[in-house]
Amino acid sequence: MKSLTLRNLHKTYFDPAVGTRVTAIQDVSLEIGAGEFVAVVGPSGCGKSTILNMVAGFLPATRGDIIVGDRSVKGPGRDRGVVFQNFALLPWKTVIDNVGFGLKMRGIPKPERDRIAMEFLELAGLSQAAERYPNELSGGMQQRAGVVRALANEPDVLLMDEPFASVDAQTRMTLQEELMRIWGERRHTVLFITHDVGEAVFLADRVVVLSKGHVLREIPITIPRPRRWDALTEDGEFKRLSAEVLQMVRAA
Amino acid sequence: MNAILEALDRYAHWAARWPVLAALAPFVPVVALWWGVAAAGVFPRAFFPAPPDVFQSFLTLTYKGILPAYLEDSIGRLAAGVSVGILLGIPLGILVGLSGVARKALWPVLLFFQAIGDIAWLPLLLIWFGFGLGTMTFVIVYTVIFPVVINTALGVRSIPPELVRAAQSLGAPRWRILTDVILPGALPNIMTGLRNGLGYGWRALIAAEIIVGTSGIGFLMFDARRAGSAVEIVLGMIVLGLLWYVVDAWILAPIERATGQRWGLVTRA
Ligand SMILES: Nc1ncnc2c1ncn2[C@@H]1O[C@H](COP(=O)(O)OP(=O)(O)OP(=O)(O)O)[C@@H](O)[C@H]1O
Ligand SMILES: [Mg+2]
Repeated sequence: MKSLTLRNLHKTYFDPAVGTRVTAIQDVSLEIGAGEFVAVVGPSGCGKSTILNMVAGFLPATRGDIIVGDRSVKGPGRDRGVVFQNFALLPWKTVIDNVGFGLKMRGIPKPERDRIAMEFLELAGLSQAAERYPNELSGGMQQRAGVVRALANEPDVLLMDEPFASVDAQTRMTLQEELMRIWGERRHTVLFITHDVGEAVFLADRVVVLSKGHVLREIPITIPRPRRWDALTEDGEFKRLSAEVLQMVRAA
Repeated sequence: MNAILEALDRYAHWAARWPVLAALAPFVPVVALWWGVAAAGVFPRAFFPAPPDVFQSFLTLTYKGILPAYLEDSIGRLAAGVSVGILLGIPLGILVGLSGVARKALWPVLLFFQAIGDIAWLPLLLIWFGFGLGTMTFVIVYTVIFPVVINTALGVRSIPPELVRAAQSLGAPRWRILTDVILPGALPNIMTGLRNGLGYGWRALIAAEIIVGTSGIGFLMFDARRAGSAVEIVLGMIVLGLLWYVVDAWILAPIERATGQRWGLVTRA
C-alpha cells in the first residue's frame, strides 16, 4: 500500500451557462496514510466527485499536485483502482472477465487470471455468477463485482465515489460490512466519497467534511474495529460522531 | 371462440418447435389470396400469373442455369460492395464518434451526400465507369456507407464515459479501449447500420442492375419486362423477398442475439 497526498488542489470549470469560470475546488490539501481509510462527505455540489475524478486522473487539476507514494500522477493508471456509483462493468464481458480485465491488460495469461479472478469472486461470494453477464445480476451483486474488479488489479489506492448509493438500504449495509471485512484483510489506502454520514463514520478512520470546494474539518473516527452494524447502531460513540459530522455537513 | 384460442395455442406450440413453420405460416393467407385472385380470372393470365406459373418458371430458369447464375452475380456484387462499405464505414464512424473535430468537419458533408441518394449518381457514374462492376460497386458502397458511418458514430457516442474511464483505470492502453470498449459498445448500433445499409444496398443493386445490368436479378426482371413476361418479374420479386429473409434470419438476427441482446444493451423484439 502507498500513501495518497493531495497538495493545494484547485479546479475551475468553465460554465457555459454563465460564460465564466467557476471554482469547484479551492486549495484542498489532504494526507492519506498508507492503509488508511478516509471518507469525504459534504452537501451535493461541494466538489466531492471533482476531487475523486482528479485523483483518478479523469480530470486535469487546474493547479496542485496529486502524489501516490512518492510519484506525482497524471492521467488514469492502474495504481489507482476506481469503484463507480453505477458499477461501470463492461456489459459485453462476463463477470469473471470483468474482474480479470486489469490482469489481462498486464498480459497475464488466461488460466492464471481466471484463477486470480475466481479467488476474488469467492471473496465477494460471487463464484456462482462468474460466467454470467452483468445485466443478469442484481445491483448489489454488480457492485460486489465492481469492487473486486478494482481489488484484483492490486491498486495502491482505492477510489470509491458513492459506490453503494444505488443499491437498497439492506444491501447497502451488507456491502458496507463486506467492504470492512475485505479491507480488514488487505488494508488498502482508500478514498471514499459519500453523502451518507452514517456510512462515512461506519467505514472510515477519518472523515473529511467538504464545503464549497474546501476542507471544512477532519474528524478522526476512533471506534474500534472490526465494526458491525448490529453492534454499532446503538453505540454511544458512533451516535455522537455521526451527530457531530451531520451537524457540520448541514452547516457546510 | 375457445376453439380458435386453442388452435392458436397449438400453433404457438408447433411454431416454437419448428421455426420453419413459424416462418412459412404467415405466407399461407398471402399466397391463398394471390391464388384466389388469379384463379378468379379478373386479370388476363399473362399479366397476373398464378403461383403454379411462377413455380413453373422457377423450375425452368433454374434448370437452364439462368436463375442460379444471376443470383450468384447479384449476391457477389452485393457482398463486394457491402464489404468495402463496412471496411470504410466502421473506421470512419468510429473516428466521427470519437473526435469532436472530425464530427464537426464531416457531419454536414455526410448528411449532404446521404441526401443525394444512390440512383442520382448513376448518370455520372456511367460516364466515369461505364456499364460495369465499377458503377455497381460504387452505388452499393455509397448506399451502405452512410447508414454504417452514422450509426457507428451514434453507437460510439452512446457508450457511457464511465466505461472508458473504468478500462483506463484498469490499465488499458488506447488500442485496448478501442477493441474492448468502443467496438463492442457500438456493436448494437453498428448492426443497425448494417441492417439498414444492407437493405438500401440491396435495393440500390437491383436498381443499378435494371439500368446498367447485363446479368443479375434486377436485370432478369427488366429483361422479362421487355419480353412482356410477368411471370419472371413476379419470380424476381419473390426471390428478392426470400433472399432478404434469409440474410436477416440466418446472418443478422443470430449476431444480434449473441451480442447486444445477451448483454442487455438492446431489448428483445
Ligand atoms: N463538467 C462540469 N462543468 C461545469 N461545472 C461542473 C462540472 N462538473 C461539476 N461542476 C460543478 O462543480 C461543482 C462540484 O461538482 P461535483 O460533481 O464535484 O459535486 P459533488 O460533491 O460530487 O456533488 P454530488 O453529491 O451531487 O455528487 C458543482 O457546483 C458542479 O455544478
Ligand atoms: Mg458526486
